[in-house]
Amino acid sequence: MIALVSRSPSHWVALVRDKGVVWIAVVGLYLVSSVISPAMFQVSQVLNILQVAAFLGIIAAGETIVLLAGGIDLSVAGVVTLTNIVSTSVLLGKAGNIPAAIAITLSLALAVGLINGLLVTALRITPLIATLGMNSILYGAALVYTGGAPHGSVPQAFQVVGQGSAGGVPFSTVSWLALSALMVWISRATVYGRWIYAVGANPRAAGLMGAPVRRITVSAYMVSSTVAAIGGLLLTAYIGSPSLGIGNQFLLTSIAAVVVGGTTLEGGVGGVVGTIGGALLITELNSFTNIVQVSTGTQYVLQGLIIALSVFLYRFVGTRAA
Amino acid sequence: MSDKAKSGLWARRDVLRTAAGLAGGLAMAPFGRVLGAASAGGVIGAANISAVGAKVGGASMKKPGPYRIGFSNGFSGNSWRAMCLASLKAEAAKHDDIEDLIIFDGQGDITKQVNDIQTLMSQQVDAILCIANSGTAVRPVLRQATRSGIVTVPFNLPVEGEDWSTYVGTDPENKGKKLGQWLKQALNGSGKIVGLGGLPGNSYTASAWKGTKEVLKDSDVEILAFKDAYWEEDRAKVVMADLIAAYPEIDGIWCDGGQDAAGAVKALISANRDLVPVTGDDYNGLLKLYHNEHKSHPKFEFASLSEPTWESVVALRAALSLLRGDTVPKRQIIHPQLITKDNYTDYMRADMPDGVFVDTNLSNDQLQKIFS
Repeated sequence: MIALVSRSPSHWVALVRDKGVVWIAVVGLYLVSSVISPAMFQVSQVLNILQVAAFLGIIAAGETIVLLAGGIDLSVAGVVTLTNIVSTSVLLGKAGNIPAAIAITLSLALAVGLINGLLVTALRITPLIATLGMNSILYGAALVYTGGAPHGSVPQAFQVVGQGSAGGVPFSTVSWLALSALMVWISRATVYGRWIYAVGANPRAAGLMGAPVRRITVSAYMVSSTVAAIGGLLLTAYIGSPSLGIGNQFLLTSIAAVVVGGTTLEGGVGGVVGTIGGALLITELNSFTNIVQVSTGTQYVLQGLIIALSVFLYRFVGTRAA
Repeated sequence: MSDKAKSGLWARRDVLRTAAGLAGGLAMAPFGRVLGAASAGGVIGAANISAVGAKVGGASMKKPGPYRIGFSNGFSGNSWRAMCLASLKAEAAKHDDIEDLIIFDGQGDITKQVNDIQTLMSQQVDAILCIANSGTAVRPVLRQATRSGIVTVPFNLPVEGEDWSTYVGTDPENKGKKLGQWLKQALNGSGKIVGLGGLPGNSYTASAWKGTKEVLKDSDVEILAFKDAYWEEDRAKVVMADLIAAYPEIDGIWCDGGQDAAGAVKALISANRDLVPVTGDDYNGLLKLYHNEHKSHPKFEFASLSEPTWESVVALRAALSLLRGDTVPKRQIIHPQLITKDNYTDYMRADMPDGVFVDTNLSNDQLQKIFS
């Protein structure tokens, strides 16, 4: 009895850490916003949030793997933009071009991830700088490729992926959850997944245990950019047209969703499940603040506060649990 | 036009997007073709341009040709800028007394642009055209250029003061009034609307929205909400989806950009709501959307005012006039032609990408080259 009582505080702390503060925040914000604005309470609005959250959710899921492996990938915004520009220019509104568009954009993304990984491992460039540079290169490439004037469009058959739904549930949401489930399984149940965590927590120790540290690191960047391209393809299907600014919003929100979801910037701690919650929370917050007509400036401030608050909470919880 | 982030800030702004121009109510497609033959005619020749301020120029600014013209472009990463540049180059090629057209891209960077203008000065060009990244930051360097005897023509985005030779642009507030007027009429004087603007904090949207609010002030048109939508279809669609959830009745949508309008309309379609009157600019995607959807949505209407991509042509012609010893007004304000269901087929380029700004003097062939 005494033992139970004395252990319960850290037990609760551990529970919160494991299950994620983010889910409490997701549910809490939803309840509060529904009371303030009944519009949030409609089934259609829940589905809308789930649909919009899918794009950020997918991109952030890939980002999670890089952060878990101890890196950071700031090039996902550029990958999304380039994917949008290249896919629409290959599709040209024809369903027959869908396989080519997917193959080309995913190959490009794999190459981007490979280069990111090599810059970080072989050339030992700080991930922050390497991927920020890559982001700039990708955006520049999109500009050069289009000359500032993107063309092409998305055939109906492909738009369905981003706009359609089954039994009310948007396809984009299904894709997001399926992809996240796959990544949860890989990160939790495979040797590769354990290596990702090990490399992120302590690369030297992971190396001593036999993990191919460099290859794991490179692969994490490849996962990130490829998954970002999948997110970019879905977003392209959602909107149906090319736009040079389409990726920019993800430069920071992709990191924010992961961090809010409980994955640390130091590597080795966190997971894809939390990122689902992080993406939901950020989308929910944007949606709610749109509905109650908060200005864009205030929206940015709120987003920043939530990121700072969650980092503080996780650190606090993490320290207490240790 | 799209691109945001740093460079986007200016991109969009500059783009000042909205609007369709040409004045005079002339059909665009035929004009585009005519223009090739007669540079003095066409869309631009037919444009409704009002003169503001005293005439400037004359013998004091006259220089012997041939001329070297510099263009300091604040930014180049969107289709509006690409078309603007193409129109400029095409126009420059038509004048035998232009020896050289030197173009610098400020890449959205305020400091780089100041540096670019200084470089043009040191290359001793005869005239400097400029779309400013900041109307404040380039003021001193343009003053310096003007004083050293160079003809300076800021266009599209105003530059503070009057220390430049002549200016070419539109009047966003006035355009806002016209769009508001149209929206009020389309709603038969009463209804509920939402507004979608461009980049947060941009002065173009602020002026246009101000003009619209003034017109709607004493009417039964109720403004439910105004949100920034970044002049991007995807952002506008996401924001509009939230507004649809918040307001069971939305009778009209005000936008100062065609991408916003297209994104908002697509959100209504996704939510299975009736399409309603919407305003925007000469973004081809909006015209195509109207063309494809209006038959199944009887209440769907639109009105567009461009920010003409051929402002660069008017600016170049103003510079040449001054160099040749003629006079021009201190400010030339272009009043774009309203594009609605009644005349949109004259403008729409059905086989061209959504990103084309259809109030243009460029031919399909020229556009094909830009959008390839």
